[in-house]
Order: sequence, then structure tokens, then C-alpha cells
Amino acid sequence: MFSGLADFANAWLGFMNPTSIALGLGGALLGIIVGILPGLSATLVIALLTTITIKLPANNAILVLICSYVGALYGGSRTAILLNIPGTAANAASCADGYALAQRGEAGRAIGIATSGAFVGTLFGVLCLAAFTPSLAEVALAFGAFEFFWLALFGVAMSGSIVGDDPIKGWLMGALGLFVAQIGQEGLYAYDRFTFGWDQLAGGISLIPALVGAFGLAEVLTSLADPVEKKLIQVKDSVLPRFREVAQYWRTVIRSGVIGVLTGLLPGVGEDSGAWMSYAAAKAVSKEKHLFGKGSIDGLMAAETGDMASIPGHIIPCLALGIPGSAPSAVLMAAMIIHGIQPGPMMMITHPHFVYEVVAMTSLASVTILIFGLFLVRPLLVILKIRRTVLMPIIFLLCTVGAFATASRLFDVYAMLVIGVGAFFLRRRGYQMAPFVLGLVLGPLLDKSLRRGLVLSDGDLSPFFTRPISMAFAVVTIFTLLLYVPAFKAAVRRATGGTGRVFRSALGRKRSEDTA
Amino acid sequence: MATLADLTSTDALPSPDEARAAAASELRGGLAWMVFGSGVLALSLRMDRLEAQHINPYTVPGLLPALLGIVMILLGGLLALRSWRRGGRFEGGPRFAMTGEAVRRLALVIGLIVAYTVALLGRGLPFWAGAAIYVTVSILLLQAPQRAAEGRRLSAREIAFALAIGLAAGWIITFVFQDAFLVRLP
Repeated sequence: MFSGLADFANAWLGFMNPTSIALGLGGALLGIIVGILPGLSATLVIALLTTITIKLPANNAILVLICSYVGALYGGSRTAILLNIPGTAANAASCADGYALAQRGEAGRAIGIATSGAFVGTLFGVLCLAAFTPSLAEVALAFGAFEFFWLALFGVAMSGSIVGDDPIKGWLMGALGLFVAQIGQEGLYAYDRFTFGWDQLAGGISLIPALVGAFGLAEVLTSLADPVEKKLIQVKDSVLPRFREVAQYWRTVIRSGVIGVLTGLLPGVGEDSGAWMSYAAAKAVSKEKHLFGKGSIDGLMAAETGDMASIPGHIIPCLALGIPGSAPSAVLMAAMIIHGIQPGPMMMITHPHFVYEVVAMTSLASVTILIFGLFLVRPLLVILKIRRTVLMPIIFLLCTVGAFATASRLFDVYAMLVIGVGAFFLRRRGYQMAPFVLGLVLGPLLDKSLRRGLVLSDGDLSPFFTRPISMAFAVVTIFTLLLYVPAFKAAVRRATGGTGRVFRSALGRKRSEDTA
Repeated sequence: MATLADLTSTDALPSPDEARAAAASELRGGLAWMVFGSGVLALSLRMDRLEAQHINPYTVPGLLPALLGIVMILLGGLLALRSWRRGGRFEGGPRFAMTGEAVRRLALVIGLIVAYTVALLGRGLPFWAGAAIYVTVSILLLQAPQRAAEGRRLSAREIAFALAIGLAAGWIITFVFQDAFLVRLP
């Protein structure tokens, strides 16, 4: 434990130089700006910054990305409060109470509560990140092909089930992502799959161009196809963080922090689930239920703490298992790989200090949002006045640069274009992008694990179900899928009775929100 | 049972016509997934099994893609069946997808990005110049409907504004990516 503390202190000291501080602040500022702009997501800003930081040393590059990740989710609450439009999907839960407070002339207070909730939520998540990642990585060292097969399948199944309002569409998108990941040379025999003799496809569809297309270009098209402008509420009162309210609602803060981290651990679920589940739990136990949706401090605090705590929660499985918890953490993982750090169980052996460096980066990011929350709330709101017809063409330019820069291939720009236009039409039909992204990330792992497992067992399927960890993953995955079969669901309801209503309602969420 | 969305959602329930149109759209989607899944399955089954290399038969390259094809066929079938039961089989229901103006605007946006990507990007033109042309033309064309609605004609000032934004965007992106962070541009 003390060696961990020493590593953490060393990591913090390592970032206490003008370059790292400037890069961290810059990343957070860009993240906040993108978060403030409705529709532009944390995934997009991390993908774009991955390309711009490609020549930086690994630590500074990842610092910029983590600060932008935290900044984007924090910035999204501004638009939720002042426009009633979530800046990112994760801030949707903040809309109801934040906007109601703003309409009452308490926009500054709502922003102050969001800032303090975000700061405390991130710090709580950071503590969990430091405490649980090394232990989880140690457990994961016992994983073999069978366990990784189920883990990958579990991730895609969970993501498809929870994200969006239709599990069938979620699973279809997960399957599509897994399929796209199969395009190109496969890992065992270098055999070209689905390339149709086209050399460019042999390298496969890279993650960054795909993400820039799915989250950047699709959003540009959505934004320009639907030119609704909403009136911004003016901030008249103080925007200072409200730590008195944090103390007053400490139960909500702790509960939301725990829920945020736990939802973060679920692969591909997204930060919005952390916010919604925290909001639901707060409403279920609150003494002021009638105020929820009408300007409840408790509700706003729960939503903001829950979504921010889920960020470190998403990073935990990313570092320990190599399984990203959300779309932004998938890009973060890709960036780590680009910089020569392979996340996964072996990371504690190959890069033992890196976990504590990430802990230091995330805690530094929480400090940066506090600084910007104090000093830059009003000036940053000016960017909301930029017209979409001016901003979106520039965002598209950044998308082309982002898609091109990682491999300097024009093919990646074309892939981004095709995926972006496809994602736009699929999103309009209610298909979510998060399961697709998770499928794209986990496709190679699923393929290799399945084939290696079958070789190890000589075609026998039983080890996939009988090894203890495999069995646990198999039971949870199959149970999750069966919950959507009406007869099975009714039987489970009869068996469980009325207990766990809040949790079930959270899992059965029927809301079409995109991930960050 | 209340769902999380019920906690805050104020959305009205869809009308029967909207629900029917959505079901018809989903039915077409389900059938499209089945066709796509069948294509994936067929291509996977036709993949080389590398018998000449004496590989373990459980590691054939088409194994997972074939399974994914089957999953898509099954899920697409479920989607189609559900939509059929919800009234998606009735043709001729009203469509609520996009208005004519929205379709024209979308076609314009897609046309602009495709034209820029295919004709200007990586064709020898400096990045900043191509970017400036794309941004300037995009701003002018995307703001045209607003000008038409206000009964205004395109003014020299608006052209100068769009050109300034285009040049600034091209120069700043080139400077930040290429000069400051040493990233290659297309």
C-alpha cells in the first residue's frame, strides 16, 4: 500500500512542471469547450487530441487526453443548465433540475453545484481507481482465452442491452462492430478477410477514424440537418462551487460516487448511465422527491457526481483488463497503445507505475475543472453564440485531420466519411454507436480468444462454461440476454418480487441517448 | 414499472400513425439486417479454410464472421417480426422521417464534404488552401436559406466574412497541427 502511495506521490511530482501543467490545463479547456457545444462529444475531442499529441511523450499525451475527457463531461453540464440541451449525453440527467434552477434565476448556483459535484465525483472515482485497478489486474492475470472470450462477449452484450432504448438494435450494432473489426488481415494466419483484393482494406478499419466518423462527422450532419437554435439563459448570480451543499448532501455524493464507479466498471455502458442511475437512486430515497425535475439540488448533485465518478470507473477495466468501459475510454486505450503502453493484465508487470500516473493525471484533471469552474464560466459561454453554419464546417476539417493523422493514409479519411454518413442514418433510426465502438475494440480479442480456446480444448466447448471465472461471465452474459425474453423476465420478476425496484428500473431504462 | 426515462421525460407518446410509420421503417431495417447477415455468412463460409497449411480446423478464419452473420440474421429476423406485429406490414402509412427542406440541406452538406474529401484533399493543393475553399463555400451555401427567408441577397461583406473564417481556419489548423505539434496533414 505504501509503495502505491509513494508511486502516486512520484507521479504527481512528475507532472509538477510548467509544460505538463500547461498541457493539462489546455486539454481540460479544449474538453470544456467541446463539452459546452451541444452534440460534440468527449469521444471526438479525445480522438482529435490523440492525433495532435502523437509526437508528445506518452505521459504528457495521456495527461492531455484525460484532462480533455474530464473537461468535456464537466463542460456539458453548462449547456444542460442554460439551454436544456445536454452538452454530452452524460449531462442529460442534469437538464431537468439544472434548467429549472436556471429558469428561476439561479443559473450560477446550478453551475456552482455542478462544479462541486463534478470535482468531488471525480476525486471519489480517482480513489477507487487507485484502490481497485492493481487488485483487478492481479485477478485478471489468471484469465485465459476462455475468460477473455466471455469478457469480450459480456462487454458487447451489456453495452447493447443498456445503451439506448432497444436491446435488439444495441446487439445488432455490437455485432456490426465485431464484424467491422474482422475486416483486414486476421491475427493468427495473416489471412485477408472481407478485403475483396483491395490492399488498403488489408490493414483493417482503424479505431480513431471510425470513432471520428461515428461521433464527429455524424454529429456535424445531425447538427446541420436540424438547425434548431434555443435561447440561452443569462447567468446573473455567483458561479462559485458550492461545497456547503456537498456537505449538506453528503449521502447523495457518496451514493452517486459509488454508483458512478460501479456503472463505469460495466463495459461500454457510458457515462450517462452513471448519471441516470445516480439520479434514480437519489430520487428513490430523497425526502424532497416532489422537487425532482423542478430544480432539486439533490437531483443535480446526484447526476453530476454520478457521471463524473464514472470516468475513473471506466478507466479501471480499461487499464486492468484492456476492456474499455465507454467510447471515450476506448479512444484513450487506443492512444495508450499508440504510445507503446498496452493496457491489460500484463500492464502491472510491463508498466507498473503507469496506473499511479493515470491516477495522478485524473486527480490533476479534477483540479483543472475546479480552476476553470471558478474563473472561466462566463467567458466560455461566448462560444455558444457561434453559429452552427460557421462552426460545423471547421469541425469537419478537424475530423479529416483527426482521421488522417494517426497513419497518414487518405484511406482512413474515406473510411471516416463512410462510417460517419452511415452512423448518421443509423442514429436517426434509433441505433446507438456505443455498442458498435465496443464491438470494434473487442472484435480482435473475441476472435483470437474463441479460436485459441477451441484449440486448447481441441474443439470441446465445455471449458467455456466450466472454468470458474468463465462460468461466472457466461451466467451473467446469458442471464442479461435472457432478461429480454418476456417469459424469462416474468419468471425472474415472480422470483424476486418487489425488491430491487430501483436497480431494475435503472437497468430497464428506455431512453434514447447517445454516449459521450 | 417506472423506468429511468419516466423520471424526467416529458415526451408525448407517438400517435398511431407515427408508431405505424416507425414499425414499417423497422421492418425494412430488420429485413436489411437479414440480407446483410446472409451476405456475411455466405462470404464467411466461402473463406479459405487453409487446409493446405494443415491448420487446426477450429481456427479457420471464417469461424467468428460466420457466427456473427448468423447472429445478425437472427436479430434482424426478431426486429422484423416485432415490427410486423406492431403494424409495420401495412404499406402507405405517413412518413415522418425528414421534411423536404431538411433533405435538401442534408444533401448539400453531404455533397460539400464528399466534394472536399474527394476533389480537394490530398490532390496536391496545400491543406490550408483546400480548407479555406471548403469552409468559405460551406458557410455561404449553408446560410443561403436564411438569406432567402429574410429576402436578402449575398453581400460583399458576407463573402468577406466567410473568406476570412475560411482562411483563418485553414491557417490555424495548419499552424497548430503541422508546425506546433509536427503532425502531417493530408
